[in-house]
Amino acid sequence: MAKVYQDLRSFLSTLEENGQLVRIKEEVNPEPDIAAAGRAAANIESGPAVLFEKVKGYPYSVVTNVHGSWANHALMLGMDKTATTKEQFHEINRRWDRFPVKPEILKREEAPCKENTIDKAEDINLFELLPLYRINDQDGGFFLSKASIITADPNEPDNFDKLNVGTYRIQVKGKNRVGIQALAFHDIAIQLEAAERKNEKVPICITVGNSPLVTYMASTPVMYTQNEYEFVGALQDGVPTQIVQSDLYKNLYVPAGSEVVLEGYIEPRVREVEGPFGEFPGSYSGSRRQCVITITHVTHRTNPIFENLYLGIPWTEIDYLMALNTSVPLYQQIKRDFPEVQAVNAMYTHGIGCIISTKVRFGGFGKEVAFRLLSTPHGGSYSKIIIIVDEFVDPFNLPQVMWALTTRVRPDKDVVVIPNCPGMPLDPSSYPAGMHSKLIIDATTPKDPEPNPREVELLEPPAGYEKYEALIRKLMSEM
Amino acid sequence: MKCPRCDGNKIEVIATSPVGNVWEVYECMDCFYSWRSTETPHIHDKFKLKKEQIDTLQVIPPIPPLDK
Repeated sequence: MAKVYQDLRSFLSTLEENGQLVRIKEEVNPEPDIAAAGRAAANIESGPAVLFEKVKGYPYSVVTNVHGSWANHALMLGMDKTATTKEQFHEINRRWDRFPVKPEILKREEAPCKENTIDKAEDINLFELLPLYRINDQDGGFFLSKASIITADPNEPDNFDKLNVGTYRIQVKGKNRVGIQALAFHDIAIQLEAAERKNEKVPICITVGNSPLVTYMASTPVMYTQNEYEFVGALQDGVPTQIVQSDLYKNLYVPAGSEVVLEGYIEPRVREVEGPFGEFPGSYSGSRRQCVITITHVTHRTNPIFENLYLGIPWTEIDYLMALNTSVPLYQQIKRDFPEVQAVNAMYTHGIGCIISTKVRFGGFGKEVAFRLLSTPHGGSYSKIIIIVDEFVDPFNLPQVMWALTTRVRPDKDVVVIPNCPGMPLDPSSYPAGMHSKLIIDATTPKDPEPNPREVELLEPPAGYEKYEALIRKLMSEM
Repeated sequence: MKCPRCDGNKIEVIATSPVGNVWEVYECMDCFYSWRSTETPHIHDKFKLKKEQIDTLQVIPPIPPLDK
């Protein structure tokens, strides 16, 4: 049984035991030190989480880069920290099939996130609870970049399948007031629209500092009717995740081990300036008028730890967080209809770039698989550059993908551009924001009825190469 | 005090450091830019806002019509 974490703290202990967490014990300034460490940790191979014990002017600690390396990612899954990306992809897929695993609902007195309660709105001060800081220089304020946010469907408030646990950027705008970015194609926007049509508030819980797989699933693009907590249990290899009822809303459930839970509501039909914010494509998204949340109730653990992530030019922590959790759901959704698909690598900028390997059943099959990607909820708007390769090409091995492109593609028939499609508005090449063209490169080998006039025979490795690979590795390790 | 982004003059102190008296956080009530007293904001021209721009910024997500 893989190791399972019900809160952030137990995972931080595992990271530390494995040499994947460093502590900065000296006092640091909120700006620019915390963000600088996030960038630095991402620059280091197998970069560790960085825990700041003392931040000037604040009582509590902050940790960054918790998901920011393949080693940390493997430890999150309870795997050895040397597990390869491809091994982790296949392990997540194996566990994915366990969905749904019902969460365990704890009593209030059993839940660590309820250790302390602030029940009067006037007593709430986010700056006392969280060592807030500016992440990128031109950000419009201090942001929560890694919170897991819980909302329900206003038309079916008790439908647990439609309970949404998602990650949306949060700009702090006052002691108990924050802004939120809800893009039109995000699940929360469906719920927001239903409430705003009736001029109703949207009850919301913002949870900060969670077990690593809660954060992971909150940023995973699953279907609207799939509950994220039930996926956390699946990815914990069948061990349910622990949740507890919100204090204010009986139909909302929060992770029982959260460091901080902020409860309140989205103000209906109100928009005010939010941003800029340095976003995952490695550039700023500008100021726009976006939603506002009032926080009226808080619970938190004693000495809460603020977990936040740095975003910079890829790769930084967010790229590790959104790499396989974008690839796996897309793979699962496509292979349901096309079992020929072998693997999906959607690790590039949250799936804007995507490589799919597939067996080819008939001529044009590669393009058909690409169209299927473009008809998934996430791929439809995010995916822009789609490369399809044969089943014998490993989509996680970029030199092999380049080989497929250089030897399989005839640009006049294998490269297609589809104009005027949905696009990811934070992609700076999307114009108008939210619209884009799609590029499909079919690098698969032609199959009947498509002619293949110069059919070739692939080179095979010489007999006994595995033996020599092992021998050479052994000799190298002895040098 | 003026907002470094929109030159607005409705500036509020939204926080003082919970430990020691080492910083304050200010916020512009027109454009909601916020900064700490220990920072020296230098807003790039691209991100500056004029008051008349604020009302015409894109609305995300769009506000739907009310149900009848």
